[in-house]
Amino acid sequence: MRSRVVVTGLGIVSPIGIGVGEFWKAALAGQSGISAITSFDPFPMDGYRSKVAGQVRDFAVERFLDNAYGDRVDRYAQFALVAAKEALADSGLQMAKENPHRVGVIVGAGMGGMVMGEREITQLYQHQKPHRVHPNFIPTITLNSASGIVAMAYGAKGPNLTISTACSSSAHALGQALHCIREGRADVVIVVGADASITPLVFAGFCSLRALSSKFNDQPDKASRPFDRLRDGFVMGEGAGALILESAAHAKKRKARVYAEVAGYAATSEAYHMVIPREDGLEVANTMKLALADAGLTPGQVDYINAHATSTSIGDAVEAKAIRQLFKSRADKIAISATKSLIGHTLGAAGAIGGIASVLALHTGQIHPTANYDDPDPACALAGLSRSAQERRVKVAMLNAFGFGSNNAAVVLKQATT
Amino acid sequence: MATDPTVSLKIRTSLGEYLKRDPAAILISQHLRDDLGLDSMAVIELLYRIEEAFDLQIPDQDLVGLTTVGHVVTYVEKRLGKAPSAAPTKKPAKPSKPKSKKKS
Repeated sequence: MRSRVVVTGLGIVSPIGIGVGEFWKAALAGQSGISAITSFDPFPMDGYRSKVAGQVRDFAVERFLDNAYGDRVDRYAQFALVAAKEALADSGLQMAKENPHRVGVIVGAGMGGMVMGEREITQLYQHQKPHRVHPNFIPTITLNSASGIVAMAYGAKGPNLTISTACSSSAHALGQALHCIREGRADVVIVVGADASITPLVFAGFCSLRALSSKFNDQPDKASRPFDRLRDGFVMGEGAGALILESAAHAKKRKARVYAEVAGYAATSEAYHMVIPREDGLEVANTMKLALADAGLTPGQVDYINAHATSTSIGDAVEAKAIRQLFKSRADKIAISATKSLIGHTLGAAGAIGGIASVLALHTGQIHPTANYDDPDPACALAGLSRSAQERRVKVAMLNAFGFGSNNAAVVLKQATT
Repeated sequence: MATDPTVSLKIRTSLGEYLKRDPAAILISQHLRDDLGLDSMAVIELLYRIEEAFDLQIPDQDLVGLTTVGHVVTYVEKRLGKAPSAAPTKKPAKPSKPKSKKKS
């Protein structure tokens, strides 16, 4: 029989709080973490169409870590280290008592070490001094620097992987961790999603794609508005989320507090377009259906959806359409929320952070508001969306995440049964 | 060992910053790996800092001899032409560069 997989620890670095307690309190209050980007030192924001983002302000890694692991990695990997530290402490897992080869690390990251990446590239091209490229450039920008450093920090010698599927990276990391534990290849997997690429080049790139909101530069907290009629693109965010996944037997043996069970997962490709979803929503609906089947559940059992909902015109409409297709009349009975309305789109971290919001919905019965859902777009109105926090008994939750490159992920979580 | 106090201080300051230690506690006789705990990657990062600080380029073949703080100081002095009796043991890899006016 395959192992059941449970969540026993959570950790987060987000624009509305570092630490799960702070994050969840702010999320339930509908607090926005979106603010103006004042400058990309050394040049100003004038040339950018969008000027707002969900920034983690005043982050200094040494405030959170009592070791030097954060010193030689990029900002996104520092976020990963801090989130992983909190999640491990929260889980009560003591590495000294574990077989290190049975503890894995799977990180989802979309962009990786772009802070150093951009700096070094700029300097090389400006000054043409190849010998001045920093020796740590390659280890820093290699996309598995976060999964590597987290394993080193905690002595986790099991499977060590990085999933990079753009905006769905860490939803797939959760799914791959589920498979890994189910198949008996690890007892515990530290799952992290992390990205920190509110950097001049990446931000300009998303601006050029016309993917970012630009109408609310003067009202940053209004810019991210999934499913609302006035939405005009996503708002970039940054951060990290970490979840400790372990086999139910392992959690039971060490008498761990269990938040929820990770029950099912599906990964698909629309094989359609690099950045545009199929408008009929069929592939998204199918992905959710496959994840439910993997969990041995039916659409009629879902109580909550943490929507991908980035606040783009087409993306939200397609997701809403897919929810209607799959859940039919139940679609309006399901509570739905969009975490990106509060913190923006944290790219590779989004799946893990949405996963944390889902786990907390299951665990506490509270669902955070969808900020700025002021004027429901008829193309994607769903009755379960609310500008206010909701209290509901959530037994089954669905986490959606879709990424550039035409890929979809859905993860099903449910209340843990003993 | 007659060393240039400026060069020595600059190198020990670089090391101190890298290791987050008081430069005064870093001795000229200390071995980079055995005493200061620098692994091979850390030595490369240190030399990168020193290249910046003195506007030097250190060729790969010169790395081998740089195992103590003193070696690094002597090497830099030699490259800067400051050593009192710098008898080069190997051929310089390239002609020494004119001293840069760039502030490090």
